[in-house]
Amino acid sequence: MPELPNPTILITGAAAVVAILLYFHEYYLRRKDSLDQRKISQETKQKAAQLINAAEEAESELLSKGNWATQKLAEEFESRLEGLIQTSQNSISVSQDQLIKFMKDLQKRSADFEEASRSSTEAKINQIFERLESKLSDFLIQTEQKTTSSIELELKSTRQLIETYKNQQLKLIDENIIAMMEQTLTLVLAKKLSLKDQLDLVYEALAKAKVEKFIV
Amino acid sequence: MRHWQRLKWRSSSFKIMDEIFSTILNETFTLTQLKLRLRILKSHLLNTFFGSDSPAEPLNQLDLDWQSSLPKTFYQHFNKDNVYDIFKDLESSLNQLQVLTIYLVFEVNDQISKELGTVARKTFNKPSLLLDIKYDSRLIAGCSLVWKGVYHDYSLISKIEGKKAEILQSFKKFLR
Repeated sequence: MPELPNPTILITGAAAVVAILLYFHEYYLRRKDSLDQRKISQETKQKAAQLINAAEEAESELLSKGNWATQKLAEEFESRLEGLIQTSQNSISVSQDQLIKFMKDLQKRSADFEEASRSSTEAKINQIFERLESKLSDFLIQTEQKTTSSIELELKSTRQLIETYKNQQLKLIDENIIAMMEQTLTLVLAKKLSLKDQLDLVYEALAKAKVEKFIV
Repeated sequence: MRHWQRLKWRSSSFKIMDEIFSTILNETFTLTQLKLRLRILKSHLLNTFFGSDSPAEPLNQLDLDWQSSLPKTFYQHFNKDNVYDIFKDLESSLNQLQVLTIYLVFEVNDQISKELGTVARKTFNKPSLLLDIKYDSRLIAGCSLVWKGVYHDYSLISKIEGKKAEILQSFKKFLR
């Protein structure tokens, strides 16, 4: 029985084979790309040349057709300008109408506002006048009441003063009446009462003092 | 011993004083009269016991009568030794006497004083009551009395004051 090679060597050998295969595959792909690029580059150069030729042809054609286009453009421009002017005139006219309408509306609103303001002001003034009238009336009533009250108090005070004075005078008169009476009695009785009468009055007084037990 | 004699004399002195006062007050009714009569009596006794160069005080008839009315036994209480002591005690006892001050609207003489004093003593049943008579013309009629510092008006002016309102009312009837 033949001896089997070492597995490590087998694996390493397999890996090396795979790596070589991959290298060749990669080399083939790069080479193919390089050829494709070269081919594309040539095609591009050919197409660029064709384009340049076409452009030169177009340029020449354009130069020949330039004057006609300019004239056409001018006509078209004129036509469009007229249209634009017409449109602008119409637009301006409309705008003017709208402005006039707006101004009229504004004027009307202003008049309305003025009327409303005038009415409001009149109403406010009337209200103010009514309030003023009411307050003035209240004030006058209060003033009248206060004045009446003050006058009544003053009258009351004066009446009291007069009453006090009257009472004082009456008291004074009363005192004077009594004083006059006493003086008259003193003068009259001193002459009219006899000594016996005087003594009798004294004896009466002593008897009264006894009854009242003034002297015990 | 001397103290006992002194007390004994003092005791007998009180008795003598009472008798002397009783005799004097028998016919003396006012404080003024009492003071005058004590002075007269003292003067008379001092003149009797010791003699005097000064002339005797002139007396009215009533005082002379009073002096002569005093009984002989009354004078026997006095002698040269006790006359000063007795009068000293009498004078000091004056303040302790019960005096009724009476205000009158008329002047009084001795006769009226006697009459008034007699009635007062009888009325108040106080035999030794003395009057101190004063004059007050404001009373109009009647009198006012002061007893132990308390004043009471029994005069007409007091009655007028008491009936002032009624009197004024009566006057006002005429005025209105």
